[in-house]
Amino acid sequence: MSLIYNKKTNQENNHESNTKPPTTMEERQRQRFVDKATKVSAKYLRRLEELNGAPETMQPFFKVLKDIYVDMKNVEKPADTKIVGTYCVMVPDELIYAVGAQPVKLCSGSYTAFAIGDDLVPRDACPLIKAVMGFQAMEVMPIYDDCALMVVPITCDCKKKMVGMLKERVPTYSLHVPTAKSDDTDMEQYVQELYQLIPELEKVTGQTISYQSLAKSIDQMGFAQYQMSKFNTYKKHVPALIKGTHAMALMNAFSYMPVEQWSQQLHLLNQELARRKKDKHYVSKDKQPRIMVTGSPIIFPNIKIPLLIEETGGILVGDETCMGERSLYDPTVVVDQSFDGLMRSLANRYTRPCTCPTFVDNSQRIYRIKQMIADHQVQGVVYHVLRGCLVYDFEYQTLEDELGKLGVPVIRVESDYNEEDIEQLRIRIEAFIELIKLKDLALRPKKPEIAG
Amino acid sequence: MKKIYLKLRKTVTPTVIVICGVLILLSLFAANLFFFEFGSDDSGYAITPVLIILLLSIIGIVLCLWLRRRIVRNDPVMGRFVGERMSLGPVGTNKSQRKFGFMTIRWLIMLISFFGLIYGVKWLGQGFGNIEIPIFACPINQDQLIDSSCYTLSHLNSLVGMSWSEIGIFFGSLLLSIVVLGRFICGFLCPMGLLQDLTHETRQGLKIEGLSLNEKLYQRLKPIKWMMLLLFLGLGFVGGNFCNICPAITVSPALAGFKVSLFLSGFFMIVVIIGSFFKRRFFCNICPLGYLIGLGHRISLFRIKKDCQACTECGACYEACPMGIKTIYTEREKSDVTTADCIMCGECIDKCPENKALAMSFGGVKFYSASRKTFMSGHKKTERKLKRFIRKRDKNESDL
Repeated sequence: MSLIYNKKTNQENNHESNTKPPTTMEERQRQRFVDKATKVSAKYLRRLEELNGAPETMQPFFKVLKDIYVDMKNVEKPADTKIVGTYCVMVPDELIYAVGAQPVKLCSGSYTAFAIGDDLVPRDACPLIKAVMGFQAMEVMPIYDDCALMVVPITCDCKKKMVGMLKERVPTYSLHVPTAKSDDTDMEQYVQELYQLIPELEKVTGQTISYQSLAKSIDQMGFAQYQMSKFNTYKKHVPALIKGTHAMALMNAFSYMPVEQWSQQLHLLNQELARRKKDKHYVSKDKQPRIMVTGSPIIFPNIKIPLLIEETGGILVGDETCMGERSLYDPTVVVDQSFDGLMRSLANRYTRPCTCPTFVDNSQRIYRIKQMIADHQVQGVVYHVLRGCLVYDFEYQTLEDELGKLGVPVIRVESDYNEEDIEQLRIRIEAFIELIKLKDLALRPKKPEIAG
Repeated sequence: MKKIYLKLRKTVTPTVIVICGVLILLSLFAANLFFFEFGSDDSGYAITPVLIILLLSIIGIVLCLWLRRRIVRNDPVMGRFVGERMSLGPVGTNKSQRKFGFMTIRWLIMLISFFGLIYGVKWLGQGFGNIEIPIFACPINQDQLIDSSCYTLSHLNSLVGMSWSEIGIFFGSLLLSIVVLGRFICGFLCPMGLLQDLTHETRQGLKIEGLSLNEKLYQRLKPIKWMMLLLFLGLGFVGGNFCNICPAITVSPALAGFKVSLFLSGFFMIVVIIGSFFKRRFFCNICPLGYLIGLGHRISLFRIKKDCQACTECGACYEACPMGIKTIYTEREKSDVTTADCIMCGECIDKCPENKALAMSFGGVKFYSASRKTFMSGHKKTERKLKRFIRKRDKNESDL
């Protein structure tokens, strides 16, 4: 199969297709690709919706995922708004909104695109990169094709090399993220990086950034984070009010929605959760094991792990992944009202609290996970590692040791962007959940004794 | 690109230093100037020196801004942002910032103590003659509410002539105030602190960019701090006294209506005002009295507590801290993060978004802790607006 897509030949093909009926091999291949990709996405979306306990107000979030992945539509936006693609959690959305563009997070989880990308990048590269390159090569997803600019933070090796490959196809800007954060100069360096990013963004829209627009976008993002923090307090409730898989889908939808619309919808969801709390309408039973997911990003439609956890009897209560809670957890803390103060606060928010393992010293991630375990009353941790995602794999050992001291079981599951390993994963996760149930049973009778 | 930034820093910082240096040089030869003794004789009002100081500091600030604007404009990267970064007060605000809270209480206490220490005598009479608290209730005010051990500390040679009971009261009350209040004095009671906070707030209101110091620059301040402490305690033995160069002296006596000469301190005060305009609580970073009190922080009752697990190391506290205490966010072992530099202003707790990660305690009782709910309460207004909008939309839909 000549899957490696060549722009030049495609243009020629397009030219030819005006005269001939569109039956070239590439056309058919693309059609097959689209069919398969939408089928897989639709399947996972259906499983997501069928997972009982989805709040009514979740529907708009599902619809966004459906629009993007099944109907292959562009992001819902005013007609003249440019979209700026971002990767990772280090690109400040605030800056993009401040120049009047719409940020879209392009990290991908598509299995079909992964299969295409497999031929474009080295075998050991992480599946996320393969999926992104796959979509880029097939040119069927409007969110990838309409991007006026892609901002790629230089985090892990794969992202670094991806910049080079993307540059051949689309305008790409590489944002240098400091590799360490213990020194003050690291953060200050990032302030300078952001200052240099602004002119690039301004070129896209033609609008200049101003104090007002930046302050406004910080407020908007702040409001989304305020709603998110409210949502988090509902997530901490025992028994659970919402399933974790739905919460992850919600965070995935954030990537493809204008922030105002998203926070408005989340506000409605929060109201529904408040009603559920009042009516004692819970989605989990008392004894259901409370599981947390951490590790490599979990991106729609690759949501097999959260789905498996909740389908095999666990309840996903929290996640510490970059497509999940992390992207909106830490608020921007403005301490200085000047323009430079706003920029500093942005740089601070996107580097210092970020628990991405690409930073040299990342012990704070362990503390964060421990705190989440305490907050959400987590009974077991699923450590998700994508094949080839080395940075997350490096941190597994320390986490296992630390959680061993706490007596919280951890399981490391390695997966790839395909459905072949699903049965194997099911067995392992099921066993893990059974183990927690047994442990719980063994501990339970002791409680009255202590009380007595 | 980093080079340009370094160049910028290399030019901005020296200009400020040069201006300050010129002022210090001026102050050295101030005795030869005809207005050195200005204000101490019968001519004019007591407030005149203060007004002169204010005028000169405003001129200094404008000069600094003008210089920085020139430098930034010629910078290839930053020149683009000169309008946003350097203009006096771009319109629009960050609306989500919380307006009322613990900081309001702090401002109230500061204002009360400011007026109490300066005009207290007029309202309450000369009350506590014997008690000395180490605060700037300047003894140059000939009559005041409470005595200040600040004066005795800067005139340690005068201890020789004092009776044992006086020395006992001096040390006793000093120790007591270190234990009970500690550097709470700096953050909440000191009139000099209020003055510096006012200049800082003026800058915030005008949205002018300040100087953000990093750990290396704070390290540079340390020798200055020790030198100031040495001068503070030692000048009395070599014939002078710290009051001659203390910038605080131009504030409270003059406002209370006592005629004091400008000395050198008036010129030092100009440096302090300009410094505190660009760097919050500039003088507190080198204040010898505050540092002396801070050295006793281990026995003080006011403490900053930290829950090391809840901390996400977001560094917001460090950014907000006017004293540049980095350990507050890097600490992962101890639950007590009070240091000699901490002035108990509570900014770190006010800006902390994590539930119970930071707290201020008095004698083991936490009376103010950080919480995400209060941190984000500024957004409640937006939420109410959104609720109204949704109700309206629903109504319109049902009408159709």
